[in-house]
Amino acid sequence: MGPRSIFIAVVAVLAIATGTWLSYQLMSPPPTPQTATMLPAPAELAEFSLVDHNGKTIGPEVFAGHWSLVFFGFTHCPDICPLTMQVLADAKTQLAALDQDPLPRIVLVSVDPERDTPEIMSQYVGYFGNGNLGITGELEEVRKLTNSLGIFFEKSSTDGDDYSVDHSAVVLVMNPSGMFHALFGAPHEAGNFVHDLPIIMASQ
Amino acid sequence: MRVALLFVVIGLLAACSVERTPLVATDVSISKPIPGMQMTAAYFTLTNNTTQTIKITRATSPDFESVEMHETVLEDGMTRMYALGDLTILAGATVIFEPGGKHLMLIRPITDVDSVTLEFYAGKAVILTVAVPYKE
Repeated sequence: MGPRSIFIAVVAVLAIATGTWLSYQLMSPPPTPQTATMLPAPAELAEFSLVDHNGKTIGPEVFAGHWSLVFFGFTHCPDICPLTMQVLADAKTQLAALDQDPLPRIVLVSVDPERDTPEIMSQYVGYFGNGNLGITGELEEVRKLTNSLGIFFEKSSTDGDDYSVDHSAVVLVMNPSGMFHALFGAPHEAGNFVHDLPIIMASQ
Repeated sequence: MRVALLFVVIGLLAACSVERTPLVATDVSISKPIPGMQMTAAYFTLTNNTTQTIKITRATSPDFESVEMHETVLEDGMTRMYALGDLTILAGATVIFEPGGKHLMLIRPITDVDSVTLEFYAGKAVILTVAVPYKE
């Protein structure tokens, strides 16, 4: 076999390999989230007027420009709220270690605005890391936001003078267009966000 | 030498025969309240070492204004918190208080100490006292 034949054989093998790789890439389905549910089409948020943890008036545009993980809870909640916030903080730390860019912003919307002042929200969301956003305000305005997202909450009494608030346990994903994009059902684990969030982000 | 060994064996047997504490708390974990917040949760495992059912009627702490026994339950996508009422632990049984489940809600700290004391009541009597440092 002469040099010309060897050259033709190498070119042929490379062509076949490239064709096989291309067809595999074109035919294999894109990765899908394991635990998150993506909306068939991202949904716009209802109009609302609330305040952030700095006391600044905000509306739906506050979600624009970021991928956000949004949880609905309250600061007088001793168990599931700090647990969920810590899960989200751990997920963000793990995504950073994997060089995920951009990183999601963690957002807590208070379902107990009666007690959750901007000052308290500031201390609370700040405890779970930098760059987090706390949202509170008038109860009616909170309901405008939650109703449009299918989030429910209601006061409940316990055995003491204090009250609790029952609330939806999901974590919502907002895209940089400020639209509701996907959701994670409870119970929450950091690994679920670490696996699914890059896939969700790549889907837009 | 043999006599001395006999005394050691008798001593060990005597130590083993000492009655165990009726109720034991292990894996106790309490985080310091988040700065500015007025509450935290206590998690632990309770084991009834007796042959009788133990009914815990309440828990208190000299370090908090109020203590409530609660359980977080996930129902139809909603997270709800219920008051536990009396806690029944059958003979030899173990009950786990853990994140996202049963927990003690510690409300309004009244001391600024690095550890927390918990007192568990069976009726009017304190059946177990536990003192643990806050989790790092």
